[in-house]
Amino acid sequence: MDFDFSPEEQKFADEVEEWLVANHDPVVMDPTRENFSQLADTPERRAFMKKLAKQGWLGMSWPKEYGGQEIEGVYEYILNEALSRHAAPQIGKGVGIIGKTLIRHGNEKLKQEFLPKILSAEVEFAVGYSEPQAGSDAANMQLKAEKVEGGWKLNGQKMWTTSAHFADWYWVGARTDPDKPKHDGLSLFLIPMDHPGLEVQSLPTVGKDTTNQVFFEDVFVPDDYLVGKRGQGFQMISEALDLERFTMFTLSPISERTRVLVEWVKEATRDDQPLREAPDTRRLIANIVTDTAVAKALSTRFVCAAKSGGKPPTIQSSQYKLFTTTLSQRVCDEALDITGAAGTIREGQDEAPIRGRFEGAYRATMNETVGGGSSEIQKNIIARRHLGLPKNF
Amino acid sequence: MDLDLSEEQQMIKDMTRGLLEEHCPVDVVREMEDDPTGYPAPLWKQMGEAGLIGVLIPEDRGGSGQTLVEAALIYEEIGRALAPTPHFVSGVLSAGLLLEGGSEEQQARWLPEIASGQAVLTPAWLEPDRGFGEAGVQLAAKAEGDDLVLSGVKRHVNYAAAADRLIVLARSDEGVELVLVDPRAEGVSLTQVRSQSGEAHYRVDLQDVRVAGSERIGRPGQGWELFERVLQRGIVLLAAQAIGGADRALEITVEYAKVRKQFDKPLGAFQALAHYMSDASTRIDGGRVLVHEAAWNDAQGRSIARFAPMAKLFACNTYKDATRMCCQVWGGVAFTLEYDAQLFFRRAKEMQLSWWDTRTLEERVAADVLDR
Ligand SMILES: Cc1cc2nc3c(=O)[nH]c(=O)nc-3n(C[C@H](O)[C@H](O)[C@H](O)COP(=O)(O)OP(=O)(O)OC[C@H]3O[C@@H](n4cnc5c(N)ncnc54)[C@H](O)[C@@H]3O)c2cc1C
Repeated sequence: MDFDFSPEEQKFADEVEEWLVANHDPVVMDPTRENFSQLADTPERRAFMKKLAKQGWLGMSWPKEYGGQEIEGVYEYILNEALSRHAAPQIGKGVGIIGKTLIRHGNEKLKQEFLPKILSAEVEFAVGYSEPQAGSDAANMQLKAEKVEGGWKLNGQKMWTTSAHFADWYWVGARTDPDKPKHDGLSLFLIPMDHPGLEVQSLPTVGKDTTNQVFFEDVFVPDDYLVGKRGQGFQMISEALDLERFTMFTLSPISERTRVLVEWVKEATRDDQPLREAPDTRRLIANIVTDTAVAKALSTRFVCAAKSGGKPPTIQSSQYKLFTTTLSQRVCDEALDITGAAGTIREGQDEAPIRGRFEGAYRATMNETVGGGSSEIQKNIIARRHLGLPKNF
Repeated sequence: MDLDLSEEQQMIKDMTRGLLEEHCPVDVVREMEDDPTGYPAPLWKQMGEAGLIGVLIPEDRGGSGQTLVEAALIYEEIGRALAPTPHFVSGVLSAGLLLEGGSEEQQARWLPEIASGQAVLTPAWLEPDRGFGEAGVQLAAKAEGDDLVLSGVKRHVNYAAAADRLIVLARSDEGVELVLVDPRAEGVSLTQVRSQSGEAHYRVDLQDVRVAGSERIGRPGQGWELFERVLQRGIVLLAAQAIGGADRALEITVEYAKVRKQFDKPLGAFQALAHYMSDASTRIDGGRVLVHEAAWNDAQGRSIARFAPMAKLFACNTYKDATRMCCQVWGGVAFTLEYDAQLFFRRAKEMQLSWWDTRTLEERVAADVLDR
């Protein structure tokens, strides 16, 4: 048993930390954007990703023949946790989901076109799986892809494409074979985001940021831009999730929030008494810190399972995601309880404790238990695959 | 034993619902968020004409002289409709303070106008870095001759810009004072502070504000006793409002769970979700009866020192938990501004943190159970 990083891993963690401190930039790193801080959605954040690329930190786990270093995924985990701790944009989509899928299944043309650009951070992607009728039931995608001369014609709608308003390329699942069973009729496509038939409509959220719905009207995609084999879309999507365990939902933003809360409580007073002396505050803080340690333990658990190779740590990551996203919301809730009436002051005003960080986070974390596989879906996975309970739907 | 509403009570409830449906549909609720006045004038006028604002004000002062039970029924409807009005600060708290401690002259001057909605009064109570208890009131009231001179800062003053008078809680050598202050008087400045719910909240800075001693409500130093008594009744109504909000949020969620399908089934067919909603409905139904019991005890002239904080504690926790659960059932759409679930979600948390928060209520219940 060893809870520490290996000396090499620790060295890398230190190096990343030092680099992030040296490259700190409040325009790039804004913790009040909570989950949305991971997006490289402004020129400054894209420039930051290019600097990260120059460090050689993109695609570290890729095979050497595609410009990677073939090192363990745990280094990408270390990097992403550090990035998210600093509220910097994160790796994941390009290097992880899209890059790794192209390496395994992409044709030569797509590999040559995209892999170098991913490594140099010259391309940003939007991921379009979800649709109005395909949320938790992701395989239920209805976006229609019709075979036409030299390619495919896409018609329909995507929902929740978070990066659609700034991305260069769109990674899209569509139904190419409506007559096949629903998991076998989907294919993946790459489409330039500025394609004339695409219309992006923003969906403002109760957090600070927006996501989008995207409408397709006769969007033509050449044959070469169908990724992998026709009809294998859903299998590739699931496989990519398994390959990407190391850079999924990070813990650092939550431990950071806990840290910020603790710092504040240490200094705050109520009726001229130190808040940290109030028994109810002590009880809440003790439990938040304890549960944050458990979230860390669950993350250590999936990282160790992932490191060992073998089966993808599906159960471990479901348990981690379930526990951590629930905790994330609870920390915000109880932080507001600790601040009392001042907790009602909306984020961004000097009047508010910590400029309303927790008021904003109370709203911004609402969908953490929904996006990326809801809590209920995680529970179903744990019940069936871990506990061996019968399927009931 | 009988939990049914009387015919008259049912009428008040139905009338309130009808009035709110007509004058406070959800687009009006949305429009009023962050509005400096914070409530729609036509709604307020209608509520005045229907006798709803003066529900707790005696008939000889222009009100309709009902008990806390009828008021609770109205508040449940206000909660369902998410109606933004200064009813609580003006019709309940300010009117209550005047009724409990006001002079004949003060009552005659303000109560009829409060009841009609013509005048709005609002307490200025909380202060930065201070709590919900008596010790939290530190804004200075210096006696100079017959006058009081007020200096300090108040926060979370609801609807202050629309108010004809603030009732400022201030500390003199005698204790806590309640003082009627014109928000337009020299030395008073208002700054709108945006809140989680979007209700019109103000910071009020008072700098050497001179007020005649005759503007004090009650005897010197009696302010906290009066305020506590009035707020204790008031929170029963906030509990009713929370139950109304939770009930409506659950209602729209259940409807959605019947029609939204994933995996070829309506969401409500997944027991995981059905059980959440069953839990919430159990708590809402229990909470509602607890609120009614608190209000009824008050109407019987019995003490509600325990019932009142229990009612708000339970109802506001239920509202907060239920709205989070509802957002979970809605899935991604709950996170968009376009859908209404988030309106309930934000208001529920704010209600829990306002007018005695969880910590204060727990302490009041525990004190009543353990310290007597
Ligand atoms: C801000 C935001 C950003 C997003 N970004 C992206 C993106 O970039 N790309 C993308 O493709 N998608 C994205 N998503 C979509 C996200 O993955 C979906 O919202 C999620 O999969 C849930 O789908 P849904 O919203 O349709 O909810 P639904 O699937 O309708 O779920 C509603 C409720 O039903 C429950 N439920 C569903 N099935 C079951 C079951 N079998 N048993 C028990 N309970 C069940 C769910 O847990 C949930 O509580 C984003 C979503 C949001 C809100």
